Amino acid sequence: MKRFTRAIGGPLGAILLLVVLMSLAMIVAGTSPIDGFTALFGGALGGVNQIGETLVATSALLFPALGIALAFRGGLFNIGAEGQLLMGALFAGAAGAQLNVPGPIGIVALLLLGALGGGFWGAIAGWMKARFGANEIIATLMLNFVAAYVALDLVSGPWRGPLATGAETAWLDPRYWLPTILPHTRLSLGIVVALAIAVALHWVFTRSVFGYDLRAAGEAPEAARRSGINIERLTWISLTLSGAIAGVGGASIVAGELHRFNTQLSPGYGFTAIAVALVGDLQPLWICVAAFGFGILESGGLAMQASAQVPKDAIHVIEGLIILVLAARRYVSTRTEAATS
Amino acid sequence: MTSLIATLVLLTLIKSTPLIYAALGGVISERSGVINIGLEGMMATGAFTAVCTSYATHSTILALVCGVAAGALVGFVLAIAATRFKVDQIVAGTGLNLVCAGGAAYGLVLLFNQPGASVQVDALGSRYWMLIVLAFAAAVALQLLLYSTPWGLRVRACGENPRAVAAAGLDPLALRTYAVTISGALAGLGGAFLSIGELNIYSDGMTAGRGFIALAAVIFGRWNPLGATAAALVFGLFEALQYVLQGRIPWLPADAMQALPYVAALIALAGITGKVRPPLSDGVPYER
Repeated sequence: MKRFTRAIGGPLGAILLLVVLMSLAMIVAGTSPIDGFTALFGGALGGVNQIGETLVATSALLFPALGIALAFRGGLFNIGAEGQLLMGALFAGAAGAQLNVPGPIGIVALLLLGALGGGFWGAIAGWMKARFGANEIIATLMLNFVAAYVALDLVSGPWRGPLATGAETAWLDPRYWLPTILPHTRLSLGIVVALAIAVALHWVFTRSVFGYDLRAAGEAPEAARRSGINIERLTWISLTLSGAIAGVGGASIVAGELHRFNTQLSPGYGFTAIAVALVGDLQPLWICVAAFGFGILESGGLAMQASAQVPKDAIHVIEGLIILVLAARRYVSTRTEAATS
Repeated sequence: MTSLIATLVLLTLIKSTPLIYAALGGVISERSGVINIGLEGMMATGAFTAVCTSYATHSTILALVCGVAAGALVGFVLAIAATRFKVDQIVAGTGLNLVCAGGAAYGLVLLFNQPGASVQVDALGSRYWMLIVLAFAAAVALQLLLYSTPWGLRVRACGENPRAVAAAGLDPLALRTYAVTISGALAGLGGAFLSIGELNIYSDGMTAGRGFIALAAVIFGRWNPLGATAAALVFGLFEALQYVLQGRIPWLPADAMQALPYVAALIALAGITGKVRPPLSDGVPYER
């Protein structure tokens, strides 16, 4: 949707801003920016293992960010990616523990189950919005909490693995693990799936009728309605698809890295993904770049906390500030346009 | 049975109070034409600041004042973003929520040297009832302010038709700035009640979506202070029910019960729609 995309400036501005803010957060924590960034980048890119973890985080952020971008383009502010990802992971984890089919079929089934779980969760909000006009921002956020408690209840009770120590399902049979694509790391084929979805979405947004309708509904809903687009139908379809993409991401974490469902599996990927989608200008290919950038922050943040004593939560402050400041840049750039034209 | 009902009533009042403050904040902000998605972050800021102040000064009154001031500051930031910079209010509010929650988590590590939760600090203790009474007083006061004073009429006009306000020689941007700053102050007080009224610590994620439940209360209460207060009481009742029912009904799953207030908000949102209308210019930046 234009008001969202217009609200965000270019990715380069974002990077510059990020470096300045990050330095500030380090100085406040009593660390020199040089030490802080050394720890951050060393932890994120300093070896094969580190790069693998960074790409694992990239992949975890990319799925929900792509889903969010789809909804935002249709003018729907989906802040429920966290819950949709969790439901996708829950479906995949619960079913995966029971599955008995050949490996490759099982893996595809797990990812589809993830899409089903996330899509179901997105569809609830979509149905509420389309049928009753319920505010999708509040609805998707409420559903995050409902998802967390439902998942907690199911995996502490009926779906709990027989040998599990905490609230988690049984481990998946190794046949259903997504293959590792970088030796000696946890990086799985999941990231390839994410990139494939990004390319597919790029095509959908730029070439397909659905992508056109979505943009029309997002930028000029009244005109879209009058031109014969069924906005209600588009609303629930786009929120369902948006949730489904996040849900595949959840399944990818289950099948690719954790090999079971655990209620703690996402440290807020669904929220960070909002920043990823906005910094990526809601364009799938730019979102891939943004996801890598935020992946560096996610995985380097832990190292920065451990070796440079800068709390990793500084990263979330900075994500929020980027959203805020880039949202303000819209005004600055339209002002400049007005002055130069 | 009588004692059970008494417990439920008291718990409902306690659980509703932060929601009432935040919902009143939501009402004044949206009445002026600014959607306040940042209520959640403003509550977290108020809660965290109150705990820090109490830790440093051992004065709970000062802690409340600082919590309110910190909430107002975040409100002011959103106000400036929404009025002077004409940002997308939803994007900006989402950003502010991340900043506030992340900032509090960062502050916890820096100040208390431990992630997740603060140490225990001096709290209101049994004096928390004053804030409950104040919440209802604030609801009545805001109702009178919005519907019985010239300033209230102007604020409401800003939310409906800011051009008309400007044509009358007033500054809609200034009015919106005041309204959203007050909104932040109210949400900050709601947050402070959570941390040093009901409890005596700040922990990560303690606001738990209450800012958004409050937004649902604003809609359910038809953008009206008394209506929003009533809606907040209903949502508070569902939160209280979960504690009262826990363990009493064996077939009810304990964890899923915690989802009750969120489910209640969802049902309320779906049920009310079509019958209410937000202020006409709610969320629309005003361009001079």
